[in-house]
Amino acid sequence: MYRRDFLKKSFLYGAAAGLGASALGPLTPALAGLRPHIIKGNYDLVAVRGDDLVAMFERAMQEMGGMSQWVKPGQTVVVKPNIGWDVIPDRAANTNPDLIGAIVRHCLQAGASRVTVFDHTCDNWQRSYENSGIEQAARDAGARIVPGNFERNYRDVSIPGAVRLKEAKVHEQILDNDVFINVPVLKHHSSTNVTIAMKNLMGIVWDRRYWHRNDLHQCIADFCLFRKPDLNIVDAMLVMTQNGPRGTSTADLVRKNSLLISSDIVAADAASTLIFGEQPANIGHLAIAERMNIGSLDLSRMNIQRVFM
Amino acid sequence: MQLSHLKKIRIGVSLLIFVFLLLFFLNIHGRVIDPVAEFFLRLQFFPSLLRFTVITLAVSSLGFLLVLLLTFLFGRVYCSSICPLGTLQDMIIAAGKRFKPRKKRRFVYTSNKKLILRYSLLAATLLFWIFGSLFLMNLLDPYSNFGKISVTLIQPVFSMLNNSLVWLLQSFEVYAVSPMLAQSLPADVVAVSMGIFGVIAVMSVWRGRLFCNSLCPVGSMLGLVSSRSLYRIAFDDSACNFCGKCERVCKAECLDSKNKIVDHGRCISCFNCFDSCANNGLYYENAFASAKKVQVQNNSLLQIEKRSFFLTLAAGLLSVPVLKKMAAAQPADTSHPGLVPTGTSLPVTPPGSVSHDHFTGKCIACYLCVGACPTNVIVPSFFDYGLEGFMQPKLDYHKSFCNFDCVRCTEVCPTGAIKKLDRETKHITQVGIAKFMYESCIVTIDRTDCGACSEHCPTKAVTMVPYNGLWLPEMEPDLCIGCGACEYACPTEPYKAIFVESNAVHKEAIPLSDDHGPRDHDKDEFPF
Repeated sequence: MYRRDFLKKSFLYGAAAGLGASALGPLTPALAGLRPHIIKGNYDLVAVRGDDLVAMFERAMQEMGGMSQWVKPGQTVVVKPNIGWDVIPDRAANTNPDLIGAIVRHCLQAGASRVTVFDHTCDNWQRSYENSGIEQAARDAGARIVPGNFERNYRDVSIPGAVRLKEAKVHEQILDNDVFINVPVLKHHSSTNVTIAMKNLMGIVWDRRYWHRNDLHQCIADFCLFRKPDLNIVDAMLVMTQNGPRGTSTADLVRKNSLLISSDIVAADAASTLIFGEQPANIGHLAIAERMNIGSLDLSRMNIQRVFM
Repeated sequence: MQLSHLKKIRIGVSLLIFVFLLLFFLNIHGRVIDPVAEFFLRLQFFPSLLRFTVITLAVSSLGFLLVLLLTFLFGRVYCSSICPLGTLQDMIIAAGKRFKPRKKRRFVYTSNKKLILRYSLLAATLLFWIFGSLFLMNLLDPYSNFGKISVTLIQPVFSMLNNSLVWLLQSFEVYAVSPMLAQSLPADVVAVSMGIFGVIAVMSVWRGRLFCNSLCPVGSMLGLVSSRSLYRIAFDDSACNFCGKCERVCKAECLDSKNKIVDHGRCISCFNCFDSCANNGLYYENAFASAKKVQVQNNSLLQIEKRSFFLTLAAGLLSVPVLKKMAAAQPADTSHPGLVPTGTSLPVTPPGSVSHDHFTGKCIACYLCVGACPTNVIVPSFFDYGLEGFMQPKLDYHKSFCNFDCVRCTEVCPTGAIKKLDRETKHITQVGIAKFMYESCIVTIDRTDCGACSEHCPTKAVTMVPYNGLWLPEMEPDLCIGCGACEYACPTEPYKAIFVESNAVHKEAIPLSDDHGPRDHDKDEFPF
């Protein structure tokens, strides 16, 4: 029962997304028609400022209409944080572990039958899982942690419409679960200037070197044609503004005290880029994403809820 | 105590040591295993002796003295109980018996005519060492060979079984077992290990502990001591009825039951003879209390050693370092990224190994660090260090890189070839310096962003600077510690556009700036 047929799954995803959208029709704002794809939740984007990340997340979910907008009873969920590096939570090179714990709890409360957490780490995976605090936080909240370093867990997929990344090996957890929640941490990045939600998807494929070798920005945008996360939750509490993505010390961080939630990966990245202090159009993969109609960078046309706690 | 119990005790102790050391080599560690295995590690003879030359004033370096004392008191209990390769041989002997006809399972006393070979090898091993090469020690030392066999032959099988189990469990949605990283072992090293294992296995099945009494330098050295040991196995003339049972179970083939002679230089104190004798015809005799004349070939021994000294001196002079590989000079092809040849003339040695000279002069090539390294960046080399550093490990950045915060290899090294480092010292220990190949980089040739090198760099010795609307790597060598993260991450093929050049003597890098905490953000609004 485990290795389900991928095509069948993608069909089901499509059907579920369509049904979900029609059911949520009355709730979604009038601007929905202008958006290139289906957005769940009460707003296109919810941005929260505050001091307590978990409380901010809970408030943001409340504004959005709750996790049940995305997770239906009995569904399986995969949560993909950034666990790239073997560093402690204070260094904010990985997603905040408490946030991951809170997301897992919300998914389970919404009736998820199973929540899985993984990342294809850059540093040694066991050390990164452990020292990031995410393994413990996710387990404590009731999720299961699976490795992202085991090549056998990756399956070949093709990406129709892609310019450079026409094929990739994607982790089976992304392919086999019903709901995909992307939880990046906002950081400076030496390769792409910023790393947020779109860049975080490099952690669900096996061969990252291919992306670096074949126009990194184009590949990042191309991958969104394959599978966009259902929900993006951006940790922008402590933002690494230099020496990213690994950072060298806590001196690389700025307290931006923010959290962003959106179903639209490009919108989430555009807003986060502004918080970082850059213009979205200047970020290669964001500009390409807009050009390829993957999403829009024009936040002025979006229905955004801003909350200050 | 009944002397026949000694065999059971010996088996128990030897298995205990064997199992703990094997677990340690297979990198299965924990709060219980680690200290016990470490203690057993300290008793390994040559590692301890090497360690003594590095860290002289430490109790942890005195294991070899304890072994010498034990040998002087009770004979070569080291060979029967402490040496893991000895226990491995016992297992092979036991397994081999099943495939032999009953009559051939017996051991027969052989006279010690092969002393020339034995002591020549010992002398040669020590001479090579004195002249700075551990070539022979690394090839012959039993502990080192046990390590090689564990890490290059047993560990891959273990890892394959583990990963198959992981795969199987995963299909039942069970994620309790973690997959192990594939160890990238050079084929030539695996071939040598197999050869060593093959030779030892054949010798064991054929003639018991023949290896220990011919090729093994520790066996030869301890044999010199045990032939004069205080307590030794002897025949009780009144009780022995010449049945010959003891001779048939003596895997060292040192018991002459017809003439009631024990060759104590070859006896490994396995106590099989005590166990085999129904009449208590053998006993532990106190050599000083006993009036018996000791039959040792003292004079011939001296002669042999003199002869072998000159023989091996000649051999030692032949051990000139092998020519280093010369990089072929060819015009650089820059039509695609990654076409400019790289490669360092010297291998990178692990952090804590001080210098190439220190490392190659102290490393016994047991591969404990290879097995313990969580990122598998430490791999056995073949002739990379020349003949004097034959098979010693190196850092290989093609398949992995050295984890910034990890000091595992410095903790496990038994000889002091890799000295213990704390995390702060490791952070500034520069084992090499990365060199950026401008003419081979994706950014300069393909004109697309990449930055994988800088992304992985833990000290930001590699930063990205603006370059025609893109970002181009730039090196700050003083910050670089040579961890190889950049080289590993670099996606160019077949050659990397950034690679680490080894430091023959490790240097100190500039420490990272102080961790003075995050800056505050004054704006309390959203920029959108």
